[in-house]
Amino acid sequence: MRATTISDLARPSLAKGVRLQIDSTTGKSVLLYPEGIVELNETAHEILSRCDGRTLGEIVRELAEEYEADSNALAADVRDTLSDLQQRKLIEFK
Amino acid sequence: MTVPHPYALLAEITYRCPLHCPYCSNPVAASLCEVPRRPQGGGYSNGELTVEEWKRVIREAAALGVLQIGFSGGEPLARRDLAELIRAAREAKLYTNLITSGIGLDDDCVRALRDAGLDSIQLSFQSDESSLADEIAGARAHERKLEVAAKLRAAGIPLSLNFVIHRRNIDRLPQIIDLTEALGAERVELANVQFYGWAFWNRAALLPTRKQVDRARDIATAAKARLAGKIDIFYVLPDHYETRPKPCLNGWGQRYLTVNPVGDVLPCPTASSAIPALRLENVRTRDLDWIWQESESFNRFRGTEWMPEPCRSCPQKEIDFGGCRCQAALLTGNAANTDPVCEFSPNRAFVDAVLRNTNSSSDNAGDWTYRSNPSALPVSV
Repeated sequence: MRATTISDLARPSLAKGVRLQIDSTTGKSVLLYPEGIVELNETAHEILSRCDGRTLGEIVRELAEEYEADSNALAADVRDTLSDLQQRKLIEFK
Repeated sequence: MTVPHPYALLAEITYRCPLHCPYCSNPVAASLCEVPRRPQGGGYSNGELTVEEWKRVIREAAALGVLQIGFSGGEPLARRDLAELIRAAREAKLYTNLITSGIGLDDDCVRALRDAGLDSIQLSFQSDESSLADEIAGARAHERKLEVAAKLRAAGIPLSLNFVIHRRNIDRLPQIIDLTEALGAERVELANVQFYGWAFWNRAALLPTRKQVDRARDIATAAKARLAGKIDIFYVLPDHYETRPKPCLNGWGQRYLTVNPVGDVLPCPTASSAIPALRLENVRTRDLDWIWQESESFNRFRGTEWMPEPCRSCPQKEIDFGGCRCQAALLTGNAANTDPVCEFSPNRAFVDAVLRNTNSSSDNAGDWTYRSNPSALPVSV
């Protein structure tokens, strides 16, 4: 799905077989999946740890409040991140 | 030199297998499995590590920073304690992956694996339909694999399919991709055969022609684009047809380690057969942390200091790490040489000669030798 077409009402979740975990050796947040690992930056971690049934709109609102950020700019970043992860089959939308 | 954390452990828990694929990467002389070379407990007369020994290895790997474990073999289902090992790996917070032929996966077994917390399964197939697939496997396996794939879907266990691609099945690539779609897999690995173990032995029968390889590349590229976001297609290049070597293991002793059935710890799963001079350590006598950090075998090709020319002064040396040590050993007789796949290797002629032979009009690929089972080999003590 292209980033701009993801609806505010979409509910992103981790794809089947994908686990979000803190690497106890390095303290970094990682996504684990078959034969692979992605190290997440702070933004990606904050987004993915909220992919539990909340809508995209809700996730953006929460992050905007927490980081006192402009919600339009933030929404575009969140959409880009999720679109990228969806292309890699690491998340899906419900 | 700072030693990095490994992230994945390949646990080859047995070399026993019901299939006889001629491209198997297990050592041809896997009879090492039968010879009790070392003190053993738990009644494994064939020298395999016991369940308690594996649990200790798993805990030591997690402490070392490992995040993923692949249970492989041989056929890991040949060990009845597999579910117990998966549970131990989950308790150590590892991502657990089972690499299997599927033979022996009945309903009870699927349930036991799921209840143990198995994260994902890689199910091997030999081709898209029974007659060829069973001929390659040297066993009637294909129909059973189809049933197993359906069971795994029903159980909700994430499914990857693995196909080793070679001269005899490469022209079936479109149908193979269709099968992956039909079975509802999330991921498929289309791995051009790499020449280690039995595959090295059978190379003439397995190496595809240039024409076949070119066509397959186009098909894989198109399928990747068509199925993006639906099936993750991982295409492993046929390295003999490349001009630069693969970045094998992401560098020796950087990210991966393998423990074989008898507890030898390998920087690469094929190193025991390809580089016999490498002095391997064993989990029965040393802990994994020491082996990873300090052992001669893991430090032998770590970093770039060991490199000869043309690698030493090559701008690619941190990208491809000089290629594959096992391939250098098998083709040039010296594991420290540049991988002869590299166009700058003084030994590239070895690879070109193999390609010339395969692509000449008089080429006769010949028959392959099927992989035989360790337990079927005569025990030599």
